[in-house]
Amino acid sequence: MRRLARHGGRALLGAAALGLASQAALPLLWMLSTSLKPPREVFAIPPTVIPATPTLENFSRLVRETAFLTYFANSITVSGLTVLITIAIGATGAYSLTRFVFPGRETIAKLILCTYMFAPIMIVIPIYVLARKLGIVNTHTALVLSYTSFCLPFSLWLLRAFFQSIPVELEEAAHVDGAGRARAVVYIVAPLALPGLIATAIFTFTLAWNDYLFTRILVSSDELKTLPVGVQDLFAAAVVDWGLIMAASMLITVPALAFFMAVQRHLVAGWGSGGLKG
Amino acid sequence: MGLSAGAAARGATLPARPRRRLSPAALGVLGVLPALVLIAGLILYPVGYAIWLSFFDKHSFFPTERWVGLGNYAQILRDVEFWESLWRGVVYAGSTTALQLVFGVAAALVLHRSFSGRTTVRALVLFPYMLPTIVAVIVWRWLLNETYGPVDHMLVRWGLVREPIVWLGIDHIMTSLIAMSVWQFTPFVIVTVLARLQTIPPELYEAARVDGAGAWRRFHFITLPQLKAVLFVVILLRGIWMFTKFDTVWLWGEGAGAGREIKTLPIYAFMRTFTYYQAGFGAALAVIMFLMLMVATLIYFRLFWREEETA
Amino acid sequence: MRKRPVALVAAGLVLLTSSLAGAADKKVIRMWQTETEPQTLAVLNQMAADYEKIRPDVSIKIEGLAWGDLEKKLTAALAAGAPPDAAHGQPITCASFAAKGLLRPLDDLVEAIGKDNLIDSFRNLCRRDGKYYGVGHSPASSVFVYRKDLLAQKGLKVPRTWDELIQVAQSLRETKDGQVARYGLTMTGQPLFVNIGVGELLKTNGGRLFDPEGRPTLTEKPVIELLDFYKKLNGVLPPGWASHNYLDTFANLATDKAAMLYQAYGRGVGYIEKYAPKELADPEHFAVADKLIGPSGKTPAAQLDCEPWMVFKDAKGGNEAVEFLKFFYKDDNYIRYLHTVPIHMLPILKSTYRNPKYQDNTTIRKWKPWVDMQEKFFRNDWIKPVLVTDWSDMQKPYLLEVMGSGILVDMVFDAVKGMPSADAAAKAQKRVEELLVSTGYLKK
Repeated sequence: MRRLARHGGRALLGAAALGLASQAALPLLWMLSTSLKPPREVFAIPPTVIPATPTLENFSRLVRETAFLTYFANSITVSGLTVLITIAIGATGAYSLTRFVFPGRETIAKLILCTYMFAPIMIVIPIYVLARKLGIVNTHTALVLSYTSFCLPFSLWLLRAFFQSIPVELEEAAHVDGAGRARAVVYIVAPLALPGLIATAIFTFTLAWNDYLFTRILVSSDELKTLPVGVQDLFAAAVVDWGLIMAASMLITVPALAFFMAVQRHLVAGWGSGGLKG
Repeated sequence: MGLSAGAAARGATLPARPRRRLSPAALGVLGVLPALVLIAGLILYPVGYAIWLSFFDKHSFFPTERWVGLGNYAQILRDVEFWESLWRGVVYAGSTTALQLVFGVAAALVLHRSFSGRTTVRALVLFPYMLPTIVAVIVWRWLLNETYGPVDHMLVRWGLVREPIVWLGIDHIMTSLIAMSVWQFTPFVIVTVLARLQTIPPELYEAARVDGAGAWRRFHFITLPQLKAVLFVVILLRGIWMFTKFDTVWLWGEGAGAGREIKTLPIYAFMRTFTYYQAGFGAALAVIMFLMLMVATLIYFRLFWREEETA
Repeated sequence: MRKRPVALVAAGLVLLTSSLAGAADKKVIRMWQTETEPQTLAVLNQMAADYEKIRPDVSIKIEGLAWGDLEKKLTAALAAGAPPDAAHGQPITCASFAAKGLLRPLDDLVEAIGKDNLIDSFRNLCRRDGKYYGVGHSPASSVFVYRKDLLAQKGLKVPRTWDELIQVAQSLRETKDGQVARYGLTMTGQPLFVNIGVGELLKTNGGRLFDPEGRPTLTEKPVIELLDFYKKLNGVLPPGWASHNYLDTFANLATDKAAMLYQAYGRGVGYIEKYAPKELADPEHFAVADKLIGPSGKTPAAQLDCEPWMVFKDAKGGNEAVEFLKFFYKDDNYIRYLHTVPIHMLPILKSTYRNPKYQDNTTIRKWKPWVDMQEKFFRNDWIKPVLVTDWSDMQKPYLLEVMGSGILVDMVFDAVKGMPSADAAAKAQKRVEELLVSTGYLKK
């Protein structure tokens, strides 16, 4: 009886996993399929899943005829910098919020949250005005600063929740053993916080990678554009080239996906399972 | 010697070490300072600007403005479009947040178990969130197109419906928008919850199993309490973000007249500023949204925060 | 954690140097325009490079973005007191800006290209107090496209009136196995185009949107008839038409899901060439016809798609922008520009039309009927910008707001959803009046 329940449980698990994979994979497969189709097959009825006449022409045209590679490089630079700065400042801030007591601590945390209550679409104009005053319009600096400012609040809150669940006892034990605060943080807190740090890094990267509005308003030069803006111009071109668009979409998503597949292993807690020894 | 878990959670400090030049409190302030400076620097000015603007009647293109005090706010309260947009916004935010939470936690639990191919599924599951919104919307509008999209094609072929369903038409666009938004943003919940699940000590589960607790009891008495802190933040963030969501909603409905069925408050505020060209009115709408979220958040904190401190 | 501040400073330095690297001594002239096709941008950038050889002291930066985005950026730039040197606008945008004194007159540009050389109807695109404030980059008109072969197959005549359109659309509907395989007509539900449709169709019905004092006239008979027409259209259009954007309608036409398209543009030729079966992709199959005439109207009408170049008075590089535009309109450069989207970007200069180099283009030769039809509408002055039923409407400062509010779009969809036409019109009338009163354009 128990074995039957266990098999049933495993079957259910398998079905759930399959469901999860399909709901994400099917649109991805569709994008892949369309990116490999020549124009006339794109609208074929009935729609074909496996292209009847597959071609790599969309990809080659994308790379040859548009500035796609430039946009890609820009996106990586800007998003990468944003992640570094956000994690650095965010982790420091979150650690302070959970390990130290100082006046106004809770107020500061809540105020930081207020940042999100203002719809981004409404603050984009004053941000442009501010950028102009600072002389950083049409620069990557403006982008990194804007992205960091809207990634920091949630990073602080998320990391704070993670740090909160790491008991202070562990650092104390390290102190008793003679380690300084810095070593305690590096060797004890960081590994336990790693899943939280990775999760935050993933979200920050994604938010920066996908930002359209701020980039569009702040950046004008083609050589500085990031992928969403560069790709949007492809979409807006009136004779829409679906194969090209899907090829662009594939190239935007797949490298990031591969990177995350490598990194998500670290979402597993590294060092000791939990650490609360008996 | 040690501090109780409760004291630690309240942020009680460790005994000061003699070598320290700075007190713990000062260190704490120093630690949050960079974050504060950046956020204040880049957000305070725009927010102040918007609040200031809301007291004026200003055309978006032209430099002159006319003081109206609370005139914009009074007009908003009388405005039928405002109330309709508010209702749609609440429906959208409420349903998408709730669904993201349910699916997200369930999916995280599934992905926490080991099975072959888990790494691949975990990476795939992140895919919807990583896709730029414009691409996601284009792909889904294509998939759901009633003429050449595969979804309707399958539904008709398998006999589930007699005629293709117009997913983006006036009757179904809100439903399809909600479904698409849940698809797009659930990975946020999944990844966060999964990260937290990974740091729950397995010993807790062992002990419970030894005591004879079944799956549901283990979930209810161990997993859920351990997740509370993270869930609190996730619900808060997703709620705020879905209420102020612009991109997905705008792109889903902008290409068509059916878009008026999904005109939520952020869309309406955008329209007042950029298509009606009434920047002051639009700013007032943004301020009202802000106040609503403040109130909602305060209530949320009052209801749930105290539990966190003793978790 | 101690290492982090160092990393931060390093990152900051990198950013600073990279943003400084772009600084140059040349005067940067910023020009924002709405053509985004890669081939068009390539030609424009080449033009800028060629121009910089003659004028090494300037650097021309041309940005191509869709009108929606351009508008947002323009709003931000104006708010910051730093508009671009030149930009495209809708004709009514240009008129509004000129009325508010934001623009630099372009009489010198018009003199350079020849006042009489400008196609007559387009001289009024953005004129105020006798001065020119906008010069269109290239006009196009909306066209009525139909499948000549299918009409011939069924022995049908080309529809000339509203009722005939409904009848022909019904006859051209094809069903197969209980499913509709092809609809008679496709139209887009996209708000901009519904606004355009209302303007066009109302004009063909001899109607108007505003009276000379500026009051909306939505409860007049031609408008009610228009709403009744939309109800009938709803019966012959695909059921999802409210969610079809402008490109979906091209897709429907090109892939044989619809036999006629009432609001097509020259750009559609590119779509047909790309997605329609090779043996059908020509004007013998996809033919153009005159626009319809409504029950209360006398002449056909089409919408003019022609963004004028505007130069901002407060911009530092206004004069240089104008000098570049003179270069832009020179036949050699202009023709290359127009050839990037051949059937859609037509010349605004008579001399360019007559220039054999312009006519020497395979697509233009192949699709000549489409070009001729548009030209006919230009000559007869049957074309107007969106929401303009009479050129004098261009003096009204609130057309932008009326268009953006979507009130007319709501009016159409209210009627289509079942509201009696008179009620939908009355509701819209009230809303427009409220809008104009609250923005100070109308006294109560």
